[in-house]
Amino acid sequence: MIEVRALTKAFGAQRAVDELSFTAPAGKVTGFLGPNGAGKTTTFRCLLGLAEPTSGDALIGGRPYGDLVSPRRHVGAVLESMGFHPARTGRDHLRVIARAAGLDAAGIDPLLEVVGLRTAVDRRVGAYSLGMRQRLGIAAAMLGDPQVLVLDEPANGLDPGGVSWIRRLLRLWADEGRTVVVSSHLLAEVAQVVDRVVIINEGMLVAETDIAALTADRVTVRVDRADLMQSALRAEGADFEMLAGGVISIEGRTTADIGGIAARAGVTVTELGQMSAGQTLEAMFLAVTGGDRR
Amino acid sequence: MMNLVSAEWLKLRTTRLLHGMIPATVVLSAAAVAGAVLSLDGAAELESSEGIRRVLSVTGTGALLMLLVGIMISAGEYRFGTAADTFLTTPRRHRVVLAKLIVGAQCGLGAGAITSIACIGIASLLYNIEGATFPFGDADVWLTLAGTVVYSTLFAVLGVGLGSVIRNQTLAVAVALAWFAVVEHILVNLAPDIGRWLPATAGQAIVRTPLDDLLSPLAAVVLLSAYGAAAAVAGLRVVVTRDT
Repeated sequence: MIEVRALTKAFGAQRAVDELSFTAPAGKVTGFLGPNGAGKTTTFRCLLGLAEPTSGDALIGGRPYGDLVSPRRHVGAVLESMGFHPARTGRDHLRVIARAAGLDAAGIDPLLEVVGLRTAVDRRVGAYSLGMRQRLGIAAAMLGDPQVLVLDEPANGLDPGGVSWIRRLLRLWADEGRTVVVSSHLLAEVAQVVDRVVIINEGMLVAETDIAALTADRVTVRVDRADLMQSALRAEGADFEMLAGGVISIEGRTTADIGGIAARAGVTVTELGQMSAGQTLEAMFLAVTGGDRR
Repeated sequence: MMNLVSAEWLKLRTTRLLHGMIPATVVLSAAAVAGAVLSLDGAAELESSEGIRRVLSVTGTGALLMLLVGIMISAGEYRFGTAADTFLTTPRRHRVVLAKLIVGAQCGLGAGAITSIACIGIASLLYNIEGATFPFGDADVWLTLAGTVVYSTLFAVLGVGLGSVIRNQTLAVAVALAWFAVVEHILVNLAPDIGRWLPATAGQAIVRTPLDDLLSPLAAVVLLSAYGAAAAVAGLRVVVTRDT
């Protein structure tokens, strides 16, 4: 379990992370979403002890990263800033980590098999493609069989097959009871696999919710007279918002409720449905990133 | 700590940094020794105390390369982006720096010893060719070679410290080369009283270079150790406190 409490990281006057709080529970894939520059990587660096928070806490299993004994056995991480020595082979990269962490090197070859690098183990990383490096990074994260996995934009540089492989891996980890946090600036990459989302913008929390909670009680409707429909909804005290394309999204009502309101208001319904989690998430994400205005 | 030292060695072996640097150190020093032998005239001059010191003191030439090895041991982690992985494995970063200092010192010691052996071999061979007898029994010979090992070891430590403070490897190497190849020479020539307190000049004193104004070898060992310790402490401080 990961707990971030009122985390702030300032660089001079600039607050890259601003009083951010959220949790990522075990057994779930938590999507950590936000546009580029929202503070996702900085949050991860504070969480992993690579950067000192200005204030607040970022805890793994209740402790700061620096207090973990044998951290590789607890936490695996892939950050975008992580690199590889180009002259080292994939296997040697993992051997170095295993040696420093006191882990058994016998686990290295099976792991390279799991990430699909079996044929490349003895090649120098300098000759690896971006996707192969990403896979090697994931192998390094898995080396200590950790219960917590933190991945920063893991789909970057992967082909569609690789992206789907990552999704299956995330799902598998969470189903095994591990805590999985994955950041992305592209919702589509993770929307299918996340159980929970934390959306941030400009270092601040925008939304934190389980996907299951998003599906419930959210109805979308498209009508011929949106103005009349809005007045009717307002009169009914409904909690609604306008989405792109003249669609109205209403919370806490059933499709039958909305159909009735439309009929009484004398407007014609052209579309009526329960919003899928994906649509709801997309609407939230677009509102944050401003993508719907572009 | 043993794991970390062992891991640092594995890092060096798997990048083959030393495969080039140690032979280069040996060749550079041996060539300097050969040059010094050939510059002296006849057996009498070669066998004189001054002559022997001129020949053997250049064995310290390779120490500069060990300084560069030290820089690469520490700054190389930032150059290739492996520092994050290293600190994820060992969040108590001072241990990483200590392991690097130990490994740097071991590299310098090993390279210094290999260089000394190679240099004494080359020197005795060339002495024979020149019709002179190499004075194996002279204490100065062994003190100078011991000095080469100490010089090389302390310079490697200095390099690890410097590379921890200046984590841009290219910049650290450039600063080191500019200082040791240019600035220190100028300072020594302009103000020998100050110059003898500078690190490479202390190194020259350690290998008993026959020059005026140098400290005694022992005082120079103490001084260069102090430089090494200061660089190590500064490196520790920077690595522990700065974000990665």
